[in-house]
Amino acid sequence: MDFIVPLFGRFHPILVHLPIGFLLFGVLMVFLSKEKDSGHSQSIQLAFFVGSVSAVLASISGFLQYHYEGFSWETVQFHLALGALTTVTGFYLTWDFRKTVNWTSFRWKSFSLLVLLLFTGHLGGNITHGEEYLTELLPDGLRRLLGDSTDAEQGLTLPESGWEDLKYYENVVQPILNSNCKSCHNPRNKKGELDLSTLEGLKKGGENGVVFHANDAEKSELFSRLVLPSDDDDHMPPKEKRQPQKEEIELIKLWLETGASFEGTLGEARPAVKLLDPFFERLEVPFYPQTELAEVSADSIAALKKMGFFVEPVHLGSALLKVSCLNFPDFEDADLSKLSSLGGNLAYLDLNDTQISGEILSQITAFPNLTVLKLNSTLIEGKDLATLQQSPNLKHLYLNGTQINPEDLAALESLPALEKVYAYDTPLSGNPAVKKFRFSLETGGYSLPPIPSDTIVY
Amino acid sequence: MKNLEKLFAELSVQKLQNQTRRHFLMDCVSKVGGLALAPLLFGCEPGTSAKAPTGLNLSERDLNPLAPLAPPFMGKAKSIIYLHMAGAPSQLELFDFKPELAKLHDQDCPESLLEGRKFAFIRGVPKMLGPQAKFSQHGESGAWVSDYLPHFSKVADEVAFLKAMHTDQFNHGPAQLFMQTGSPRLGRPSLGSWVTYGLGTENQNLPGFVVLTSGGKTPDAGKSVWGSGFLPSVYQGVQCRSKGDPVLYLEDPSGMSRDMKKNVISAINQVNKEDFEAFGDPEILARINQYEMAYRMQIEVPEVMNINDEPEHIHELYGTKPGEESFANNCLLARKLVEKGVRVVQLYDWGWDTHGTDHDGSIDMGLRNKCREIDRPMSALLLDLKQRGLLEETLVVWGGEFGRTPMQENREGKVQGFKGRDHHVDAFTMWVAGGGIKKGASYGITDDFGFSGVDERTSVHDLHATLLHLMGFDHEKFTYDFQGRPFRLTDVEGELIRKILA
Ligand code: HEC
Repeated sequence: MDFIVPLFGRFHPILVHLPIGFLLFGVLMVFLSKEKDSGHSQSIQLAFFVGSVSAVLASISGFLQYHYEGFSWETVQFHLALGALTTVTGFYLTWDFRKTVNWTSFRWKSFSLLVLLLFTGHLGGNITHGEEYLTELLPDGLRRLLGDSTDAEQGLTLPESGWEDLKYYENVVQPILNSNCKSCHNPRNKKGELDLSTLEGLKKGGENGVVFHANDAEKSELFSRLVLPSDDDDHMPPKEKRQPQKEEIELIKLWLETGASFEGTLGEARPAVKLLDPFFERLEVPFYPQTELAEVSADSIAALKKMGFFVEPVHLGSALLKVSCLNFPDFEDADLSKLSSLGGNLAYLDLNDTQISGEILSQITAFPNLTVLKLNSTLIEGKDLATLQQSPNLKHLYLNGTQINPEDLAALESLPALEKVYAYDTPLSGNPAVKKFRFSLETGGYSLPPIPSDTIVY
Repeated sequence: MKNLEKLFAELSVQKLQNQTRRHFLMDCVSKVGGLALAPLLFGCEPGTSAKAPTGLNLSERDLNPLAPLAPPFMGKAKSIIYLHMAGAPSQLELFDFKPELAKLHDQDCPESLLEGRKFAFIRGVPKMLGPQAKFSQHGESGAWVSDYLPHFSKVADEVAFLKAMHTDQFNHGPAQLFMQTGSPRLGRPSLGSWVTYGLGTENQNLPGFVVLTSGGKTPDAGKSVWGSGFLPSVYQGVQCRSKGDPVLYLEDPSGMSRDMKKNVISAINQVNKEDFEAFGDPEILARINQYEMAYRMQIEVPEVMNINDEPEHIHELYGTKPGEESFANNCLLARKLVEKGVRVVQLYDWGWDTHGTDHDGSIDMGLRNKCREIDRPMSALLLDLKQRGLLEETLVVWGGEFGRTPMQENREGKVQGFKGRDHHVDAFTMWVAGGGIKKGASYGITDDFGFSGVDERTSVHDLHATLLHLMGFDHEKFTYDFQGRPFRLTDVEGELIRKILA
């Protein structure tokens, strides 16, 4: 019969609603009554009394739940204390109601009961649903205002050089547990009675005891559960949740196999660099210049689209624009003025197959953030390229199908950001006079020479 | 009096006659069924299902469902060329080199491989079939490519191999659907439709999603592999032909002038617009747009689909012969279409189902012939895209719908007259090249017989997640509401294959 008591504990989530309902009702009646003897006295007394008695039951079941279900004292202490205080206040009001002569002061007392009730309920909700239950739906700005941390659990990151000296447990294993397991295995929410958010918790283990064994990964649930088939009930994290990367699992395995030391370094465990590779922090150099720019108004974009331009941000939310004349083949030099208002917002300009002349290049300086410029199959000439020197951010330049000569490219050498120049189908293609440049030059002209097997039919 | 009765009788008969099946159904829906159907119908209301991807200017999309859109993130690629070898090529003769398998050639298949497995045709205990091709390593990456693909071996450094792909469908139709739509059952939008829906298309005179077929037949799964599923139908693939009229019925009938055509179309569209205002059905917009696009396409499509004007060295590179329906012509067209801003080009080449039941279906002869047909064109496509700077902005994907067994097929328990392999779901090879892909990478390791992936396995959903990522989408956030819930191309699965990202 020893299941009865813990079972009663599990009724806490239901029982708590009784005091909330009755006491709230009592407070409501108090405020609806202009004076003590307004004909509601019996209901008020009954509400406070039944509310208080049910509060006793709620408190007892709550305590049992705390006792049997692995909640920590830190999590429940205030909820429990306030719950007890609510109960006492409820009884006090039941008693006080008969004697009270000062109705206003009684109303104030009832009001404080209401406040107590709300706070107790809120703290209880925090325990079951997590402290961020209410705030997580708020916009980020508002959340920061409320002092909420908005960034999710940081995963594992490693420096590309010097990782050897990092502590294996502290800098590798714990971050992996933090990002994959902590949401369900922390002091507040101890699934399987296991807390994986701290060293102590890990050492302590879960409801079935120790979860790791040095030098035996297979026997360690910390590892073995992760590699169970995903539809196994014991698989961790449960299959509908985000799964750790393969390398993260391997790193945990290696840590166990090399002695599960809390002091050892990553270097001592000699991990294959392949295992670490996904976690190296590589500074990704953004392709387009990073500048704070005002967005071009939707109206001006719509107007440009009407004229036949393709205009889109480089990605949603970016102020930088991609403009193409794909559907504007009659574009000529004079039309560039239509784009001049874009200024620094223009990052990608495709003038392929248009009617422009080389003169237009001198006006390109109006677009300081221009990163990609496509001039394929136009009438620009090599000498015009010199005027491009004022484009500090130009990275990719397309000159396929134009009349440019080997010596013209020297003018581009001083462009600081230039990475690639495409000059297929130009006098440069297959021309031995083309020298090496600082940027990479693609002149194309590939072929796949015929081979005997081309014609053998089996 | 008598007459009046007659009149009433006639009236009620007339009324009954006018009651058609449609009226009946309508009554059902509006009266009894209305209650039960309410939640279903709600999903079809404009504004819920016709909702545009987040952040989009709704009105512009409403008027032109193919209007280009910025991707949510900076995608590395802006177009996809997907080369689907319908029938499923043998990875064991092309990319997955298994010397151990050669040693087992003609021996009984070990029980351990057969336990608990189902095959499409293999029954009982089959014999093992050693690799029929000669393998060697190529390029700086040392990629294994067989002598079935001599040209491709020269460009192997450009691509990233996925050598432990797996699927869960071992029949062509469902497997093709799974590979293209993320579900083996009908009704889901294809990869191309998702991408076109999410990004629109840059060239307003061409379809956003073009399909070209070769090999004599269309894929077993039919046109649903490029269907738009529950997305509005403007996003489905437009099948073009490389021989004859590129798009059927695109030409005006004789005697119809272009002006006259224009008048007809604007009149029809006016009526359709009024209909849309009355009913708000997004399909009407799709129809309006298709009329307009068809009108514009009449000029541009014949132009872009004409490969006669390509220079001789390009024809030599691809091995193209204008006027025929071939994989080579389709590869060249794919480049031209992408160059012109088409979002997705899907090539299906039929004839890769090598069971060994006849000469064409043999691993040592028929497969070689098929390989010869694609070897030069697909290598040429990579080189041509590269020299134009298009490879950096385009994803090229190659693969079948599943792989083939290391065992020799023994249909009905009998040895076949030719060497062949059965369908196989546990391991096969695909490759991806282009924008954002790590050149020369090889990901995935299979066991000694090429039977199952032992490490770095990748699923169809993983591939889709990766392709969407490279196009600028988070596959978990790219959803469409249908029948009361958001749908994704990757359903509830799919992980980025980070190791093949540049
Ligand atoms: C979505 C919530 C969730 C996540 C995330 C999660 N777990 Fe669990 N875990 C559970 C639940 C629920 C149980 C108890 C049921 C059981 O034993 O299977 C459990 C139990 C366990 C146990 C057994 C404890 C014992 O002694 O019985 C281990 C070990 C474990 N988890 C490890 C992990 C590891 C390691 C991770 C991270 C890689 C992880 N879990 C992530 C929910 C989670």
